[in-house]
Amino acid sequence: MFDFDATLPLMAVQFLILMILLNQIFYKPLGEAIDLRAEYVRKNQADARERLAKAKELAKQYQQELAAARKQSQQIIADAQAEAKKIAEEKIAAAQKEAIAKREAAAQEIENEKQQALATLEQQVDALSRQILEKLLGPELVK
Amino acid sequence: MIDALTFYNNLTLAELEVGNHFYWQIGNFQVHGQVFMTSWFVIALLVIAAIAAITNKKVQTAPSGMQNFMEYVLEFLRDLAKNQLGEKDYRPWLPFIATLFLFIFVSNWSGALVPWGLIEIPDSELAAPTNDINTTVALALLTSLAYFYAGFSKKGLGYFANYIQPIPILLPIKILEDFTKPLSLSFRLFGNILADELVVAVLVFLVPLFVPLPLMALGLFTSAIQALVFATLAGAYIHEAIEGYDEEEHE
Repeated sequence: MFDFDATLPLMAVQFLILMILLNQIFYKPLGEAIDLRAEYVRKNQADARERLAKAKELAKQYQQELAAARKQSQQIIADAQAEAKKIAEEKIAAAQKEAIAKREAAAQEIENEKQQALATLEQQVDALSRQILEKLLGPELVK
Repeated sequence: MIDALTFYNNLTLAELEVGNHFYWQIGNFQVHGQVFMTSWFVIALLVIAAIAAITNKKVQTAPSGMQNFMEYVLEFLRDLAKNQLGEKDYRPWLPFIATLFLFIFVSNWSGALVPWGLIEIPDSELAAPTNDINTTVALALLTSLAYFYAGFSKKGLGYFANYIQPIPILLPIKILEDFTKPLSLSFRLFGNILADELVVAVLVFLVPLFVPLPLMALGLFTSAIQALVFATLAGAYIHEAIEGYDEEEHE
């Protein structure tokens, strides 16, 4: 069972030859393939991560821009509303003023007309009362 | 009664042979022919598998078929070496440790799975190359040389400082270790594989059918474990030689 002979060194040499052979045809080429693939995957992953970060950054930026734009639009709307309100108020005020003025003018005219009418009426009253007196007393007594 | 027994003995399904070798004469030296025949089979198997992996359609980025399988094997071997030697140092030692594992593993399994007994050779029978002590001692001595080489190439003569660290009182034990390491490596592998084949042979001898099957399955398991243990220990020894005590403290 334990007889050592030239099998031992020859087996060692054979093993070393196998090692060199397998290193050339197995470990090296396939190891390179595995390393290259690992490198490729790592690179792609890093690239993808970078792109994701970029995309997130862009999304954030868009969000901010969107928020700013919304704020601006609200501001514009508010301004426009305020302006419109102001204009409306001005116009209403002007219209009211005009209306008041017209009413006053009308009232004045009415008053004038009334005065005139009253004056006319008074004249007529005078004339009539004179005629009545003339009729009653006779024309000589009236003068 | 006795006739019946001799009848069964004539109808042998298995024979027990230990220590019979099919000698080849090379110059003044004798070698065990049956060991080389099976080891060439193992080597051919490994080389064919490797060639099938790389010549299919050159080396592909997206692996398929044999390349996929061999890459899986290589990743396993890399992890094995990496676990022992660390990410930094494992690359130069990968071929050695990986070849150790592959050669021992395929040898063991060929001994368990290939019906070598059907091929008649004079004086002996074919079996796993690893059930010959010459093979295991050769591998163990190569491991010793490997870790000495690793230690000296990394630290030069400073490697001897390993013997008196952490305390000089362990010096005799450290020196003893250099002898026990290859001894235990080779005898563990040799003993396990030989014992496994003997157990199966004895059981086949006693109860020819079905009963040895679970033991054969167990044999496959131990064969794989032995290959893993040998490669792992080789890695551990090399790591021990490379890594000094001072460096470990810094890590």
